[in-house]
Amino acid sequence: MDDLLNEALDAATASGASYADARGVDIDAESLTVKGPRVEALDRSSSVGFGVRVVVDGAWGFAASPRLDRDEASRVALTAVEVARASATANTNLVELVPEPAHRATWSTPVDIDPFEVPTEKKVALLASAAEEMEKVPGVRFGRGSMDLLKQRTWFVSSEGSDIDQTIVHTGTGIDAVAVSEGDLQQRSFPGSFRGHFEAGGYEIVEGLELVENSQRTAEEAVALLQAPECPSTSTTLVLDGHQVMLQVHESVGHPTELDRILGMEAAFAGTSFVGIGDLGHLRYGSELVNITSDATVEGGLGTYAYDDEGVAAQRVNLVTDGILTGFQTSRETAAAIGADRSNGTMRAEGWENFALIRMPNINLLPGEGSFEDLLADVDEGIYMATNKSWSIDDKRKNFQFGCEIAWEIKNGRIGRMLKNPRYTGITPVFWGSCDQVAGPEEWKVWGTPNCGKGQPGQTMRVGHGTSPARFRNVSTGFAQ
Amino acid sequence: MSPSEQAVAAGELPLSQDEAEHAAGAILDIAGADGVEVVVAASRSGVTRFANSQIIQNTVRSELRAYVRIAVGQKLASATTNQLDAAHMQKAANQALEAARASREDPDFPGLPEAREFGSAPALMRYDALTAVATPAQRADAVAAILRATEGASAAGVFETSSHAYALLSSTGMRCYDAFTRGVMTCLADNGDATGWGEDSSHALADVDYEEGARRALDKAQEGRGAIDMDPGTYRVVLEPPAVAMLIDYLSYAGFGAKQVLEGESFLEALAGQQVADPAVTIADDVAYPGSVGIGFDFEGVPRRRVAVIDKGVATGPVSDTRTARKLGGATTGHFSGSDEFGPYAGNVVLEAGDRSDEELLGSVDDGLLVTRFHYVNVLDRPETLLTGMTRDGTFRIRKGERAEPVHNFRFTQSVLKALASVEGIGRDLRAFAPEFGSFGSTVAPSLAVGEFRFTSRTSH
Repeated sequence: MDDLLNEALDAATASGASYADARGVDIDAESLTVKGPRVEALDRSSSVGFGVRVVVDGAWGFAASPRLDRDEASRVALTAVEVARASATANTNLVELVPEPAHRATWSTPVDIDPFEVPTEKKVALLASAAEEMEKVPGVRFGRGSMDLLKQRTWFVSSEGSDIDQTIVHTGTGIDAVAVSEGDLQQRSFPGSFRGHFEAGGYEIVEGLELVENSQRTAEEAVALLQAPECPSTSTTLVLDGHQVMLQVHESVGHPTELDRILGMEAAFAGTSFVGIGDLGHLRYGSELVNITSDATVEGGLGTYAYDDEGVAAQRVNLVTDGILTGFQTSRETAAAIGADRSNGTMRAEGWENFALIRMPNINLLPGEGSFEDLLADVDEGIYMATNKSWSIDDKRKNFQFGCEIAWEIKNGRIGRMLKNPRYTGITPVFWGSCDQVAGPEEWKVWGTPNCGKGQPGQTMRVGHGTSPARFRNVSTGFAQ
Repeated sequence: MSPSEQAVAAGELPLSQDEAEHAAGAILDIAGADGVEVVVAASRSGVTRFANSQIIQNTVRSELRAYVRIAVGQKLASATTNQLDAAHMQKAANQALEAARASREDPDFPGLPEAREFGSAPALMRYDALTAVATPAQRADAVAAILRATEGASAAGVFETSSHAYALLSSTGMRCYDAFTRGVMTCLADNGDATGWGEDSSHALADVDYEEGARRALDKAQEGRGAIDMDPGTYRVVLEPPAVAMLIDYLSYAGFGAKQVLEGESFLEALAGQQVADPAVTIADDVAYPGSVGIGFDFEGVPRRRVAVIDKGVATGPVSDTRTARKLGGATTGHFSGSDEFGPYAGNVVLEAGDRSDEELLGSVDDGLLVTRFHYVNVLDRPETLLTGMTRDGTFRIRKGERAEPVHNFRFTQSVLKALASVEGIGRDLRAFAPEFGSFGSTVAPSLAVGEFRFTSRTSH
């Protein structure tokens, strides 16, 4: 692959590119879904190809192909140059990139057990065992288990001398039970919704999750939700579990602090941000307990790597410090646009065929103090919501409505009766301003979401979020009117 | 040379039928398999993306996928590769075979469809050679025209041209091939105080009126200046086609498929045969409808039939594939999505036209709201078809049948079926929309006047 990529670089620079990079990607994936005793889907997939990104006449061009031969490498590079020249005809501003040292490195996700070497029969048996256990619970329509494995090798070379070879391995698995009665459908998942828990690493992640051991409780909760009262529409104290805090951080901190959104580059599709460039160092984003980092170096995250997809070294950046906005997620181009010295390394592309965008690596709410029980202890009356179910937020990332699978009343510091269809709504800085406790390191965990969409053509990215449960005061639940 | 080979040679089509047959032919009789099915999908696309009235990303890419599905008795598995040479196809076939052997018996698997039962699906060929060969310079020229038309505002959007080809071959004799092209423009105009929206798409680039779309975006933004707060609540609304398209897309996603019926997720499980919408409302999946863009067969090679999921207000669907049709006791409608996990899918939804002009729809509302489009819609409750999302890029008060002052955006929380039950008028002009995600499918929608639509909160812009 290195030879092919260097051929592309040579062709691009010889044709007038002032900057060029070429990225080869080879992906192997396995996806398995078991419903009850039956295998519903079992798929192995592979995809390999390369993309060439150039700056010509101060404008971007990109072309990509799955054909792996040197003639194609030259052809694709020349196409990228042609595309950039076309871009330049409509542009008045010139692309500028902040400097980044050339890197020559090899890096891999630490893996104990290669998940692709584990026999398929073993994986099927584990998921079927959990799914069948769930289906034993009266009232369950079906139990389901899933497993998703990814191994991606990326080669990156640039006209500035970088030559990087990275391999990441991600493993995800989970179970869910669905109960249906008289037009009401309720679902419970473990350890998280939308195909479970995802982490960087190997099959050891699956072995540590105790899917079968948690299947009966998961199913019983799905059935119990059918009889539970609706979560009320009220203003109350809200405690969120780590999984829902993950979603809250993702939508209301991760996306609004992407500098391409702030600069209007995503305006037509994903939207912009309520955050402005001038807010840096001033905007009160949340209470003093809110500390949030963008961290591509944390162990186990889906956004953990050594270099991003424009060859910038992975970093940890403070986005919110003691409640004040202190950072953005940047690229070499957007960092230059705000006068920063260096990108903080958040450019990533899905596969070989896409132009890299600013994508969250691991956006983490740093732990505070105390246990989950301590969060409850100070609540006379409130609601505890767990496991994300739905999400929607406006085009500036301010007005949101999020839903969870399950909730419980909190009365006098203790968990009370179960509630169904819990939803809450808020305005981003007001909501984070109402945070009065984040649980401590003992409750902190790095979650992964493998399905973050952004860009045109649409790209799906895998991102991580380290969170612990947290408490918020005076939150509107149900449907605020 | 066959016609598709000639088109490939001319740089128009990304894949010929002969190429697909050659790639698949090597593995259709692999030893140890009782059934083999190969879908080959190829595309070539150019997407020119602009923001802040500059081209910010500009991409050209070729993509290729071969999906190999193998049955060993009642066991089933699949493997995918993006290389069509014999070695990679053989590797994919071996992976699928090995996985199928390691899988479990599936009593619901009806076997691969047989050509003698389903015949050969006719190709729709919603395909335009000029669109297929559009160059980066043509796209940049179009963007330059959009930027001129939106001068005075900051413009953002895409201009996209693409060509797509699909072939399906199986050991049971299925042979299908179809191709389509697409031209898409979107434009958001931001004048610093308000935003407006315009978009257009067609299988033929010549029919995409990008300058008119840009002007519409600019006009909307200008008319949106000075928006004021308005209380959330339940209002009569006129929904413009982009807003209607998003609602019916999510309605389809929430419950038009037979697997969703079988699993209790769809409104069709409880309401089939009942009046669920105003009698003027017919929503069908119809890939052959004027304005629809897609292929004439599903991902098991069965011809895609028109299915009126809601016919004159009565729930009559769902769409099905061979697996779910057998469980429901009927014939497949030709809507296999390619995934038994996801089930059949209605990807070419059409809300049929009514008889009202846009002015008449507006004129029918004494006091209400005009919605240009929605943003970040999501499903809250599938059986209830309850959705939430935001308005954006042009929300206005309607007073005495006329568009009045602009208002800040709202969050809606609304059952789509309940909204359709209160429809008071349907526009006669249909617009076609490319999918928000991916390249497969399309939506065709008119404007709607709706009697009750619930807004549950608002934002400050």
